[in-house]
Amino acid sequence: MTHIIKRGAREYESYSREKLHRSIVAVCRSVHASEGSAETAATATCDAVDTWLKSRPEVTSGDIRRIAAKTLKIHNPDAAYYYTQHKHIM
Amino acid sequence: MIDLYIAFAIIGLAALIHASFQLGVSMLTLLSGHSLSIKRSELRIFRLTTSFVMGAGTMTLLLLAITVLTFRYLIPVHNPLIWSIVSGLLIGIGFAVLFTYYRAGRGTMLWIPRGFADFLTRRTKATRRSAESFSLGLTSVISELLFIAAPLVVSAYVIIHLPAAWQLVAILGYVAISLSSLLIVWGLLGYGRKISRIQRWREQNKTFLQYISAISLVTLGAFTYVNEVIGGLI
Repeated sequence: MTHIIKRGAREYESYSREKLHRSIVAVCRSVHASEGSAETAATATCDAVDTWLKSRPEVTSGDIRRIAAKTLKIHNPDAAYYYTQHKHIM
Repeated sequence: MIDLYIAFAIIGLAALIHASFQLGVSMLTLLSGHSLSIKRSELRIFRLTTSFVMGAGTMTLLLLAITVLTFRYLIPVHNPLIWSIVSGLLIGIGFAVLFTYYRAGRGTMLWIPRGFADFLTRRTKATRRSAESFSLGLTSVISELLFIAAPLVVSAYVIIHLPAAWQLVAILGYVAISLSSLLIVWGLLGYGRKISRIQRWREQNKTFLQYISAISLVTLGAFTYVNEVIGGLI
């Protein structure tokens, strides 16, 4: 089980594929992607993150976001851009 | 009495400077993006974004009207000392915009404290009803009062020099121009433009917008000082 260190938080959180999947689907919808395309991009992104996490017991939420954005960029560049901007809009 | 053309030129430029401030646009972008992500209907998103813009417009109108009313009763008309203070405020806030308006780094992170930005982000995402969205629009103007104070104050002081019939026109004109950036983003979102493209444009042009706002504030401050203070001595 991989632990995630969240920004500004003192406790660890376990990695949740479902949570990442939901957030990728949501960001794809934000840029007007179709339901099918959002699901495909989210599944591919989660697979890539799962693979990357295999040898890493502890990562930061920023690492997950970076790796997810890298894969998402292949499937939906607009969604990937908006995903990386999430905390930098305001 | 200040020349009518000069008065409207000052108010127009001040309103454009107000429009260049970005907190409202950031909140509108987040509101629309989050609404799309949770599959709200187009009509619902339209209602939310429209309420937001109306809220921002209402608060701008209230603030300007209150400032005009306060100045009308408390501050002498065409006083060089008041013009000097207004000019100093414009120039000071111009330099503040130049050095502090955007945070360094990626994105369009604004000067507001991070805790408050997180709160506004959470509040924006939790917005479900039009009334909440309207109040969020009101809040967006209040939150940026530190910077919009300069264009508001100079416009209010110019407005009290105008004949009564022109004062309402000037106030409504200021509100309409100050909302132009929000109205453009609202129109683009309503037209179906991708939020990522709007955000990318904002990120790519943030330095330009920052410099334009700062230079305009300093120029306006210098102009009011030369025209109303030094010009009054000659």
